[in-house]
Amino acid sequence: MRPGVRVPVLLVVLGVLLAVGVPTAWLLTRPGTSDGPPVAEVVASASGPAASPSPGLGAAGPDPAGSGGSSGVPLPPVTARPATPQVAPALPAPTRLVVPALGIDAPVDAVGVEPDGNMTIPEDVSRVGWYRFGPAPGAPEGSAVLAGHVDDAEQGLGAMSPLARTSVGDQVQVTDAAGGSTTWQVVAREEFSKQSVPLADLFARSGPPRLVLITCGGPFLADIRSYEDNVVVVAEPV
Amino acid sequence: MTPLRRTLVVGATGALALGAFAAPAFAAEDTATVSVLHAVPGVPVDVYANGEELIPDFQPGTLTDPLQLPAGTYDLAIYPAGSDPASTQPAASADDVSVPAGANATISAHLTADGTPVLTPYVNDTSAVPAGQARVTVRHNAAAPAVDVRAGGQVIVPDLSNPDEASLVTAAGTVSADVVLAGTDTVAIGPADLTLAEGTSTVVYAWGSEDAGYQLAVQTIEGTHSSPSGVPGGSAGLLDSSVPLPVVGAALLGMVALGLGARRLTAERG
Repeated sequence: MRPGVRVPVLLVVLGVLLAVGVPTAWLLTRPGTSDGPPVAEVVASASGPAASPSPGLGAAGPDPAGSGGSSGVPLPPVTARPATPQVAPALPAPTRLVVPALGIDAPVDAVGVEPDGNMTIPEDVSRVGWYRFGPAPGAPEGSAVLAGHVDDAEQGLGAMSPLARTSVGDQVQVTDAAGGSTTWQVVAREEFSKQSVPLADLFARSGPPRLVLITCGGPFLADIRSYEDNVVVVAEPV
Repeated sequence: MTPLRRTLVVGATGALALGAFAAPAFAAEDTATVSVLHAVPGVPVDVYANGEELIPDFQPGTLTDPLQLPAGTYDLAIYPAGSDPASTQPAASADDVSVPAGANATISAHLTADGTPVLTPYVNDTSAVPAGQARVTVRHNAAAPAVDVRAGGQVIVPDLSNPDEASLVTAAGTVSADVVLAGTDTVAIGPADLTLAEGTSTVVYAWGSEDAGYQLAVQTIEGTHSSPSGVPGGSAGLLDSSVPLPVVGAALLGMVALGLGARRLTAERG
């Protein structure tokens, strides 16, 4: 009787350990999907106020005087310039991305968009793409976006594959074509399902300067050979 | 260089009826954005709005930075620079120009096809273009017959008459543009390199007269960009974060053990 009781008790204990303990341990030990404050908050906090007030505030200047009738309309001071075709000076393009804490050191290519509207990502997974239509790293305003493949079926892991392990405070360096470099500090990392990535904020062209690093992550959907999520890291200038 | 033949968005529309400013959906402020272009060759002018001097000594070929004007109705007039508006006939005027809140407009002082100064208000299209694209709008403001506008030698806007405009969305980049008399290869203006910056609207005015010469004026309107629709980033699944099989297996095994143990226990009790 006595020894017979022990086997079922042992089984129950073992069962609970396996059924609850193993998944819990796995959950606890795997890298978290985020670090720092929510990315959406970080990027929205600045792109929002900075984007909308520029027209609004500009208007507020002459406006408070009130538009009093047709005779007393307050007219703002006017500046004019020659309307000849002009070429805006462009910042040098970034050429190298280094994140020492993660061992990322990758050449950067200027990229645009695919016909389907997605950002172009270099085919070579050891290279990273810079979204050339947005700000360059070092621009006074807006988010510079660098993105790379996390992996490829033939080429293996990509340069951006360690991105999911980024911690708040990690330093990021970007070197540009003119030899200059900018240094950034990570303020947030978060994993978004691809349908809910705050793209407009991440690709903001106004607001405080930021560096945004993007790759893929999360569960892999083998049937469409694609990851479900985007890993997004936001850094601010040091 | 860039294939400038995407979607022809707006056909040539006439000089917009005064008061036909389209207010964009986001119009929230009580102001409108208004730029003024001086495209009458040779004559500096003073620009008056509702009897008040808005721009003194406005030089031909110059464009004001965007003004935030209170929404409302404006009587606009231009006088030769330095003249007294009380005793001088305006060189051109436009009364009751309605400027609704949120509108973005350009008032162009230019010559008609037969050489008379005129004020034409245009509504600027500030709707977003797809990522990677740029909008280009062409306005015929010259004392000249109908023209074709070409980019890289290809006609992109055929048969445009003063003061009509045409607009299209194309891939961003630099194009070599020229203006020819409609249906001919007789170049009237250019060629000139035009930078169509991604996510912006570039408005090109063909202006001048046969005596003073023809040229291009360019206005750039920013903020019409869109972000890419997504960022694809991997195809192998090497970093798949789904629950790994061993974990699933261990959990299942645990549940089986738990079940067996529990059954034995209840069996012994009973």
